Amino acid sequence: MTNSRRDIFKFAGGAVAGALFTPAPWRLITDTALWSENWPGIPRPARGEIRAKFTNCALCPAGCAVRARCVGEQPVSLAGVHGGLCPFGLTGHHLPYHPARLKQGPIEEAKAAVRKRAPDGIAILDLNPGRTVSWTYRRAMASLQGLYLAPESQPVAYDLSAAKTVLSIGAPLLDGWGTPANVNAARQNFRLIQAEAVESRTAVLADEWIPLAPGTERAFAQEILGALQGERTSVVARELTADGSSFVLGDAPEIPEINRLLGAYGKIIVAPSEAPVPEPWKKSAAAITRLADVPDHSIGVLLIDESNAASYIPWHFIEPKLTGDNPLVVTFAATRGGYARHAQYALPIAVYPELTDDIAPAVDSIHPTFRISVPLVAPVVTPPAGLANPADFVGALAGVPASNALRERADAIHKSAEGAIVTYADGKETPVKDLTADAFWKSLNQGARWDRPPGLSSLVPAASRSTLRPAEPIESSADLPLIAIREPHNPALVSPLMTKLYQESGLRLAPNRVALNPDDARAAHVPNGARAVLQTRIGRCSVEVTVDPAVPPGAVQVGGSPGIQDVCGPAARVKVVPA
Amino acid sequence: MTLRGTIVFSIGVLAALGAGWAGFPRVIYQTHRQPVDFSHQIHADKAGSKCDDCHAFRADGTFAGVPTLDKCSGCHAAAMGSTVAEKNFIERFVTPQREPEWLVYARQPENVYFSHITHVKRANLKCERCHGNQGTSNTLPPFQQDRISGYSRDIWGHAGRPAMTMDACVACHRQSHLEHSCLDCHK
Repeated sequence: MTNSRRDIFKFAGGAVAGALFTPAPWRLITDTALWSENWPGIPRPARGEIRAKFTNCALCPAGCAVRARCVGEQPVSLAGVHGGLCPFGLTGHHLPYHPARLKQGPIEEAKAAVRKRAPDGIAILDLNPGRTVSWTYRRAMASLQGLYLAPESQPVAYDLSAAKTVLSIGAPLLDGWGTPANVNAARQNFRLIQAEAVESRTAVLADEWIPLAPGTERAFAQEILGALQGERTSVVARELTADGSSFVLGDAPEIPEINRLLGAYGKIIVAPSEAPVPEPWKKSAAAITRLADVPDHSIGVLLIDESNAASYIPWHFIEPKLTGDNPLVVTFAATRGGYARHAQYALPIAVYPELTDDIAPAVDSIHPTFRISVPLVAPVVTPPAGLANPADFVGALAGVPASNALRERADAIHKSAEGAIVTYADGKETPVKDLTADAFWKSLNQGARWDRPPGLSSLVPAASRSTLRPAEPIESSADLPLIAIREPHNPALVSPLMTKLYQESGLRLAPNRVALNPDDARAAHVPNGARAVLQTRIGRCSVEVTVDPAVPPGAVQVGGSPGIQDVCGPAARVKVVPA
Repeated sequence: MTLRGTIVFSIGVLAALGAGWAGFPRVIYQTHRQPVDFSHQIHADKAGSKCDDCHAFRADGTFAGVPTLDKCSGCHAAAMGSTVAEKNFIERFVTPQREPEWLVYARQPENVYFSHITHVKRANLKCERCHGNQGTSNTLPPFQQDRISGYSRDIWGHAGRPAMTMDACVACHRQSHLEHSCLDCHK
């Protein structure tokens, strides 16, 4: 019997028909679909032992305790230990891999350039003062006869638990101002009056929101001050004086005097209490100088530490302080977005959670505390590019040893034998006197927190600095019709996931965005989502526009990007024009 | 169609059915042996071990899964019996302190979240419900891996024994009226 071609076709037809009644074709379809989900190139989470590591979030001075769920050595999710974390903190483990991160810089060249110029008018601007590294800077500057600059020369701490009424003039009290756990714990005990132009997150959660006309915050503060001095009457001032335990928060220069008249100093506003510091450090440290107190054209070499900056000082405040003759600016930064735009050298630094650093006390921390942000991941940027260590860099200039400073500080705290250490893994509190210096150091490096309990600490009244600035001349509104309202300060580096929050929740204004009232947007011919130019007397910058009816007419709410802040001080007059 | 044509067609059908049902499963799965000839039965009978002696929950509720070498070395630092399997295990892994690369039958894909503690402590499910008689078996079954998808046959296939396939999970959840949403299990 011979097989014809027709037989082959019949056999094949039968095989195809038969195959349909087997699992093979259906399985191949499913498997191919599954394979397409798993093909090479798709990132795969690490496999390994699942365990918890503890650290303290270094993104802001709140320094929330963090429990990191790690697979192998890789943190895969972060959670708060006492209470939750903010969205920035929850996504902190993304930061080392941020695409905008500064990854290389001429570290040795910068060092040589600074050595060549120092100590000719050298200064360091520390945007996150109160850390151990800040003491290294102060010691180095004392040795080099330079200046240690910080945003505030006389920091204060607020005891919210002692307040019965709080008047906040534009301060983001419930939106990243202090330690969220402390603020929330004290919240039910005080009445909050929020006075500001926009209905911010704090205004929404306040007991009373006083909508101010944009740019009238200082006038409002002056009205309160006048009422307290008996020159006029004010319902709010009466409310503040009624319960005898009130204070006012905000940026207006009248506020220290208002708080003095309210008797808040010593009761609610106290001097921040710092964890013990080795005695030799105190003897050899430069004083803290406010940038505003530095004479113009006096800084020849300016070093700027931007690591986890708690604030941003617009460049137009810094520039006049630099010498006109080719000043040298070196910044230690995580991104190119901040002072790197103005510096000759921008040196990359470690970011949370790959850096080892202690956390400055929060503004509502009235008792001394010491916490170390323990690295959860090895530095992502490795040699030959490498990362600059600002403490080592500055310490080396002055011959001040910096590499062991945290351990020396921990030993000084241990030597004081005061307070207790809280370990998060087991929730235990152990008095320092029961621990050896090594055990204390080991606990700190496992994310533990040292506190001196309230009973052992005495609150030192903060000094009231009531020197009033003269009223600034009011800018003409003819060509700049809008008044800027600034968003609260955000960390310089945030997870790309945050852009989803920016775009979908409306809870935060993206750093490069401005929000306009629909009437003002129509008048400026800028539709929602359009690119535009923000123009002030100082300069102009490119922005994206959000049209939001919640923004009052005549105002523009501006994001916190350094580019915007450089051209736009608080209550500045601005104009938005199509790009 | 002629009789001859019908016969040829039928042969084609039968050949495909045979290949599809008998041959295909052998071809699609790649069989791997576990690194150690482990007997659950001996450990249960002679050492009186229970499942959670080795497959324990950590203090934070996460499941430790397959024990690490440290756990095994605690008893097998030296040979306790005279089996070849134990001798090989000590020579190859305990003495050089090399972690055995166990192949996990029920490892779920990345898009699935499975909590052992919820199922064991809250739903009171016995280990056998999903893992069959592994706890009393004398040998470990071969690990069969789908050549295309890369998944274990125990989670995506028909292993012929109780396994952690999606169908099995769905059936059990349906039976227990716990079908809330895909996100019960899927990330």
